[in-house]
Amino acid sequence: MSVFPAVLIGLAMGIVFGFAFEKARVFEPGMIVGQMQFRNFTMLKVFLTAVATGAVVLAVLHGFGLIKLSPKPTFYAADVLGGLALGAGITLAGACPGTILAQIGAGYRDALFTLLGGLAGAVAFSYADPMLTPLLFTGGPGKITFMDLTGVSYTVLAIGLAVVLAVVLVLLERWRPWRADLGADVDGDFGAADTTTAANVTRLKAAE
Amino acid sequence: MRACSLKQKAWSPYLAGIIIGLLQVPAFLLISTALGASSSYVTVGGYIASLFDPSIVEIDYVAKHVAATGKNWWQVALVAGVAIGAFISMKLSGAKRKAVSPIWSRALGTSSRPVRYAVAFGAGFLMLFGARVADGCTSGHGLSGMAQMAVSSTIAVAFMFVGGIATAFLVLRRI
Repeated sequence: MSVFPAVLIGLAMGIVFGFAFEKARVFEPGMIVGQMQFRNFTMLKVFLTAVATGAVVLAVLHGFGLIKLSPKPTFYAADVLGGLALGAGITLAGACPGTILAQIGAGYRDALFTLLGGLAGAVAFSYADPMLTPLLFTGGPGKITFMDLTGVSYTVLAIGLAVVLAVVLVLLERWRPWRADLGADVDGDFGAADTTTAANVTRLKAAE
Repeated sequence: MRACSLKQKAWSPYLAGIIIGLLQVPAFLLISTALGASSSYVTVGGYIASLFDPSIVEIDYVAKHVAATGKNWWQVALVAGVAIGAFISMKLSGAKRKAVSPIWSRALGTSSRPVRYAVAFGAGFLMLFGARVADGCTSGHGLSGMAQMAVSSTIAVAFMFVGGIATAFLVLRRI
């Protein structure tokens, strides 16, 4: 597809994507850091629901022969090291590469610095790519999937994954209702309660 | 109030997750690609860098990402759209955010703005460098790769959570 219609489609899809991020509150640093510290499960709920939904729709489209799957090639060291750095960055940013933009749209100013850092990181990687290729992106088993490993069809595996994730999500929700993770300002922040109490104590003392 | 009014500040994470998952349909059918976000940083970063160092486009990796293809610039438009969508949603609900989330003063142990901005810059750098090493982020590997049953994505996402959880416990304070 030529660039102009692709950009229009991208903008339209991005607006829906950003809307969903904002309504789910999953772009909140409190939700991301909270998830990584096991005190907030909003991120996992949105993420696993989106994976399960994606698996179902791709299984259907693939089943009708409308699409070709495009799994990424496996390079063990790159997937492990890259994954670790990505995860560390996500926690310290309180965002992932997609939700940085949602933070900017919703008014978080520090996200502008995360964005600049992200662009710098991508450029630094670009300069390093010719050196990293022989170390990290050579050899490997190729674009392997769990269909290759198990011999089971994509349709069965994708629907199976979606069913397993649905069960996990039902149990997760029963254990921890999503509204309990929102916080007073829907940002996954629960520390304000202490501040309020302290402020009230100060106010009461002043009244005495 | 209805469960998913546009003026509501928070929707169920399951509804939002379904909407995000359904975005794979136009991505695959119209653009012949999967949802992703981190490649766009190479496209935009590489383009900006080429203004200062034109020789950067001699690196194949950069040339591939800044080329005027629908797929490259579709993803740039996608992430730009994310900012617009979040802005519209925030305006409709009135969930205006402060300059910095209140969790950071506890997580970082200081309410200094410059410290938070410096950490955010470093975090962005680490995040995108890592995402490019792994060849994908939470979207490309997480949402799309796992739904496609890719081994690479499953490894990358597992270690993304390992890195994220370790950092949250070892580097940050409890929020």
